[in-house]
Amino acid sequence: MNNIPGKITMSEWSEIFNSLPEKIIERYCYYNNNEWGRYLQPPATFFVYGARELKRLKFDNSLAALRMWGFVFNESERLFRAKQSGKKVIATCGDLGTVPVIIMGFPDCIPFYPECIWWTPFFNESNVLLEPAHQLGAPEAACFSKAALGAFYKRAYFPKPDLIFASTGASCDDYSCVLQLIEGLGYEIEWLEIPYRRGFDYPERFVKYLTNEYERVYKKMKNLTNFDKPEQLAETIKKINRLRLRVEEIKALVYNADISPLPALELMVIEFGNLYGYADIDEWLDIVDMIYETVKQRVAAHQGVLSPDAVPVAWITPSADPYLLNLIEDYGMRVVETEYVINQALVKIEEAIEPFTALAKSFMKASLIGSTRERIARIQKAVAAGRIKGIIITNMLGASHCAMETGLIGYYLRDVPSITIDVPAPSGITEQIKNRLMAFAETLRQGYYE
Amino acid sequence: MELIGYTCSYIPVEILSAAGYRPYRLLHGDFGLMEKSDPWLRVDACPLVRSNLGFLLEHQQRFVAVVGSTGCDMSRRMLEIVDAITDIPTIIINMPRTDRLEIYYDEIDYLIKRLAELSGGRIDDEQINRQIRVWEGLRNFYRHYSEKRRENPSRLSTVSFHHLVANFHQGNTQPVSYSQLEVSNLPRVFLLGSPVGYESTFLLKIIEKYLRIIWDYNCGLSRFLNVKIKGKGVDGIKSAYYQQPPCILRRPNKKFYEFIKKKIVEYKPTGMVLSTLDYCDAYEFELIKIGNIFGLPTLNLRSDFSFQNRSQLETRINAFQEMINT
Amino acid sequence: MNDILNARERFGLLVIDEKPDRCNIIPLITSHAAMVNKTRLRDYYTDGEIMARAQIAAIEEYGHDAISIFSEVGIIAEAMGSKFDYPDDDLPILRTPALSRQSIGEIKIPEPENDGRLPIYLDAINYAYRAVGDRIPILAYIPAPFTTGMMLSEPENFLIQTIREPDRVKEIMDKALDAAIKFSYEIINAGALPMIVDPLASSSVISPRIFKEFVLPYERRLINFLHRYDLDIILHICGETGPILDILPETGADLISLDQVDLKKAINSLSKRMRIIGNFDTSELAMMMPGEISQAVKHMVAQAKNSTKGYIAATGCEVPIRTPRENIKAFIKSAKEAGWYWE
Repeated sequence: MNNIPGKITMSEWSEIFNSLPEKIIERYCYYNNNEWGRYLQPPATFFVYGARELKRLKFDNSLAALRMWGFVFNESERLFRAKQSGKKVIATCGDLGTVPVIIMGFPDCIPFYPECIWWTPFFNESNVLLEPAHQLGAPEAACFSKAALGAFYKRAYFPKPDLIFASTGASCDDYSCVLQLIEGLGYEIEWLEIPYRRGFDYPERFVKYLTNEYERVYKKMKNLTNFDKPEQLAETIKKINRLRLRVEEIKALVYNADISPLPALELMVIEFGNLYGYADIDEWLDIVDMIYETVKQRVAAHQGVLSPDAVPVAWITPSADPYLLNLIEDYGMRVVETEYVINQALVKIEEAIEPFTALAKSFMKASLIGSTRERIARIQKAVAAGRIKGIIITNMLGASHCAMETGLIGYYLRDVPSITIDVPAPSGITEQIKNRLMAFAETLRQGYYE
Repeated sequence: MELIGYTCSYIPVEILSAAGYRPYRLLHGDFGLMEKSDPWLRVDACPLVRSNLGFLLEHQQRFVAVVGSTGCDMSRRMLEIVDAITDIPTIIINMPRTDRLEIYYDEIDYLIKRLAELSGGRIDDEQINRQIRVWEGLRNFYRHYSEKRRENPSRLSTVSFHHLVANFHQGNTQPVSYSQLEVSNLPRVFLLGSPVGYESTFLLKIIEKYLRIIWDYNCGLSRFLNVKIKGKGVDGIKSAYYQQPPCILRRPNKKFYEFIKKKIVEYKPTGMVLSTLDYCDAYEFELIKIGNIFGLPTLNLRSDFSFQNRSQLETRINAFQEMINT
Repeated sequence: MNDILNARERFGLLVIDEKPDRCNIIPLITSHAAMVNKTRLRDYYTDGEIMARAQIAAIEEYGHDAISIFSEVGIIAEAMGSKFDYPDDDLPILRTPALSRQSIGEIKIPEPENDGRLPIYLDAINYAYRAVGDRIPILAYIPAPFTTGMMLSEPENFLIQTIREPDRVKEIMDKALDAAIKFSYEIINAGALPMIVDPLASSSVISPRIFKEFVLPYERRLINFLHRYDLDIILHICGETGPILDILPETGADLISLDQVDLKKAINSLSKRMRIIGNFDTSELAMMMPGEISQAVKHMVAQAKNSTKGYIAATGCEVPIRTPRENIKAFIKSAKEAGWYWE
């Protein structure tokens, strides 16, 4: 392995992979299964299986990153293997971060987020999930989470879930509507209500509502599994907190390093791992630890993957197209703060109180259940501290909260320049978008706004 | 009397009135108003929300507050923008999107508390009962007109009905009568879809040039008539508003469809017009299902309130009429 | 029944032991695609873009489940120095084997981007992948070391040498293996799934003993290399394979494409360890009437579709170039009907 950190192409990864000893490849397995659980594969493997965007992406060149990508790209197979090996596969939809904690407290139960399949059309540069979604009723101008509808219809991306929990209420309407269409396909859905927060001094009863909902999830799971050890939930919370803390540490190291030690794309994948550990939480924890060690070493050695003079920016709303995260780095920017609508999955869950209440309280910090001002408070703080020179906001045409929030985000963060990119359909990033990003980076670099 | 804006069929006008304000339902559908919200909203925001925000920005001084709900995401977020950029106080209540009765009930209590703070007075049962009588009386009054639409032949156009009920929506507690007979033997249809705005008479006129709308399930028209307060006091209001036929955004939305099916059996329409606003998640996602589930010929009309496609709309409605007739 | 999945999704489910909407259908439509596309055969195998376009045209015509990048088994040997003639309307013909002019030591491992017609294959893969790679798997047929070894030599001599000069044969095989690995590597990075073809390792040509000594170890090493990438590897052997059925799993191949063997027997021997591909007789495909083909295909699919590790309905060998299109359509239509899995 090359010890000098950098970003490399798919082909370069293949070259390095060829020289990896067999024992390293054998070392990493999900669900501890060496027969079908190996996942240390280079991007080229997934390219062969249709992930076409990998050819133009650049990746971190550490073994930890290779391991991470292999693990993440194996998720679909992992879910099928889970079911084949007798585990229960539970779809948790819409809440992004809390219900899976309950599911993980049950033995051999694997939670996953069908909406996370929204990256698949982009990695595959393909409309094969979006087209059926449109045929089934999702509008063309709607959040790319509609890919989940195509996936439920096709039954080829994850196994039929043993249970489906779907949150609705004070959240983005698009996905709630997608889920309604999924129910129309014949899937039974257990709907959960998310209350609107109404400020951080929200009434205590909101926590009670959520607690009731989570207890309902628990009961459903208990009935499904005949397992009833509520105390296990406290243990799971500890495990999840360990993950969340570790991710916070990685982010802090990356954000504050003189030279960025990890690309934004890998860091986004890590951040989203907090949702459910990509369907094998224990293995994911191990991977995150390995990434942490890699990042720590790089920071200590003053080494990184980007130029030292990369301009620090914040990223608001995750990009469905991973390529955008690559591009901004190519143009001389680095991401030092994010708001990916998953605040609820980043915070520590209280361990000293009753577990369901603790979960409810952690969820009350969610990005989309309150005001825009609350959502971007962390970014505002970073701007005030002078850590951020620009803001990149990604939008999806027709996604309800994007249409309403972008103007306000610009208003609240008016002290720094911002650029808004409408994420186009798969494989649709145009020269115009590239030019705009390039010009934005150039402007920031020249400090015209200071 | 000061206006209090509201955005959702689950916000009880009786309570807004009991606080001493004139409830004004934000149902603006004017392209000119939309432009005023452009600095804040993207073009892919709901045209109704854009228009309402434009209206509020233009008439800020007339509103003592705006009450919204979590009924739909864009509508809820409009209030956050109002809060951020104007001096109008806003109140957002949780409208249950599932069958969580207690959330709604608690939120009505919260609404009363906030309104009392706002008005500096107390809202007691007596005031509420008085308002129940006023507004229930108005509903009964307008139900009578809605029934005229239903008669066979239909004796009142929805164009006229729209004018009449705008009085209710804009908080006019004086019943406004209309005596003209508008008998029609045109094909009898239902109207479903995104709210018809105050300025959308034009759309109704084109539809009714070829068809007669005999019933609707539309927040801008007769949806308020589905609330029937039988009990007294706040509890009577809570129960009646909660039990009204659900919004299409209720999860699951099975009861919405069951209600429409029941009405189809009752009214026997020959077709359905589904009028959808651009980017209205509530209906856009359900277009195909609505087109399939009721076994009725369905015409989907889509608009952004600009009606620049007037001639195209008319041609389609005309063709739909011919299709029904044959 | 209308397809619910696309070919890539269907193949993806098969290789993780899940039942797709229907069985995969991959008749080995290789050079026949040139006929579908009304392309001169010589252009098909000397121009990658034409090869890809012909393959895509065939997919559009028939609706089968994979692109097959292939013309003939001499492709690696040619890049290593064997000379071929390129007739206008026929496949390349071996004119001068490399080893008739050079010593083994002089033969170099080819650079896939430069040597022989390997770049044409890569061009074809690139083109097809860009065009349909999100929906359809691209299979690139790689001649296995034994087949390449034979194409580097006078075939008859090569077979004799397996007895008289086994070390020399193994030396040739080592080179052929290195070449196959290098080519496979490029194929993977271009987006295709390598499919190993070893027609000359058939029991019609060699004995099981020769197979074990000269074929198996090299196939296994090639497959081991590909397994590092966790790819699901198809091994195709034409002709008779009955005598080596029990040995085939030792190659490590995940899918075995069979030709002249009793399908039931093959299923009994292999289906717990390998996914079965096969094995409609290509002469029958070319000669029978569509109605007869339908009946026979349905029988074949019914017999094999529930084999333990899954099944791909296919021809036993390459579809003959001039097979009537109606026959292939009948094959695919009836395989779709008989191969449906989902409720």
